[in-house]
Amino acid sequence: MLATYAALLAVLSAAAVALNADVKKFALAFTAVFWIAYASWVVGSYANFAAVTPAELQKFGIGWSLRLTNEGGFIFALIAGLIIANVFPRFAETIKEAVRPELYIKIAIVILGGFFAVTAAGKLNLATSLLLRGAAAIVEAYLIYWAVVYFVARKWFGFNREWAAPLASGISICGVSAAIATGGAIRARPVVPVLVSSLVVVFAVVEVLILPFLAQTFLWQEPLVAAAWIGLAIKTDGAAVAGGGITESLILAKSAAEGVNYQPGWILGTTATVKVFIDVFIGIWAFVLGYIWTNHINVTSDKARIAEIWQRFPKFIFGFVVTFLIGLYLALATPADIAAKVPAAIGEANTFRVIFFILTFFSIGVLSNFKKLWQEGIGKLAAVYVISLFGFVIWVGLLISWLFFAGIKPPLAG
Amino acid sequence: MSQADIRSELEQAAPEPLLPVEKKLIGFSLGTGLVLLVVLALLNYFVPATF
Repeated sequence: MLATYAALLAVLSAAAVALNADVKKFALAFTAVFWIAYASWVVGSYANFAAVTPAELQKFGIGWSLRLTNEGGFIFALIAGLIIANVFPRFAETIKEAVRPELYIKIAIVILGGFFAVTAAGKLNLATSLLLRGAAAIVEAYLIYWAVVYFVARKWFGFNREWAAPLASGISICGVSAAIATGGAIRARPVVPVLVSSLVVVFAVVEVLILPFLAQTFLWQEPLVAAAWIGLAIKTDGAAVAGGGITESLILAKSAAEGVNYQPGWILGTTATVKVFIDVFIGIWAFVLGYIWTNHINVTSDKARIAEIWQRFPKFIFGFVVTFLIGLYLALATPADIAAKVPAAIGEANTFRVIFFILTFFSIGVLSNFKKLWQEGIGKLAAVYVISLFGFVIWVGLLISWLFFAGIKPPLAG
Repeated sequence: MSQADIRSELEQAAPEPLLPVEKKLIGFSLGTGLVLLVVLALLNYFVPATF
């Protein structure tokens, strides 16, 4: 454990240098973030929280369990972060240098690329089918959700264009990254996407505490519908992909209790694929909005430029694609003795993916200071989010997930 | 910008009517999205997932 901490501290301190952060502050803050988050994970693995099957209850000699599975540790990390943000705001401020959910989840997604490749290697046809169906998510997020949320914000709530556009992108596309990209593209003041991003993170907290359990209850017989739905409904990369992890764990446990043992990796892989597909187009969509705004709405000499597509492209997607291709190559195109060792190697890397998920959940919690957001006047913005989320984002997401993923099941284990 | 400034800005912002270009953007997005969804649904129907 100490070696893992030291290795992560070294690697992430190098990343902090690249991000022009104060390395000494980062190292101290990361130490607190790592150990608190990891302690939450350990608490979440306590048998009374994590045990699922009657056999496990018997094995640990306990009469009850919350049946959260081991992934319930994510929820404990989130709650620990929420407590720090809302009860100990000064401590939250002290560790903010290492509270970077976007950095942690993007590293986790890059690792996930290799894991998904090895999972997909045995069932390439199914994996290809899932990728093709991911295209539906792009259409939904950019063309349907965005237009409706923008209309609701402008027409029903009277927001001006500067607030409505980043808000629509934050709620409909991909939370933080999309709100910031749109804010920059339409030349909004920096405070606008920052406040919208905070709102998205708070709602992601609420969603990740509720939706995986709804998915387990109502969609456990359609695991990939549940996976796509989580990817479409939860609006930040971190919460959505980690929420996919919780959903996978809950559904696999429920299915196992019913005598069906699915291969792990497919639910999480589907959620991540849906999210990555959506992320790919953030730069293009921001350019489209920027072009319209700077040429037709707020005509300015600072016109939107094609180069901005590249500037706003989320580069971590290259990492995901590269690890996916390397994983696929190692699993399919190397001699049998090497290929046989790949799943175990990816399993080791997957341990780090889980650690980055924990750090992500904890960081999201620490960023969610409800009192502060309320004081900033976020109530009206939140009303748009509530109406959009419960009015149609969840339902349209469910309908489209059902339309494209119903009947497609993950392979059985063994 | 202080917290109070943002709060009052959000509460007291003068209404900005939808411009024709915004209406076009909303209509074009929704229209294209619905058409593409139907096309993808048809593709999904005629080219089912292979296991």
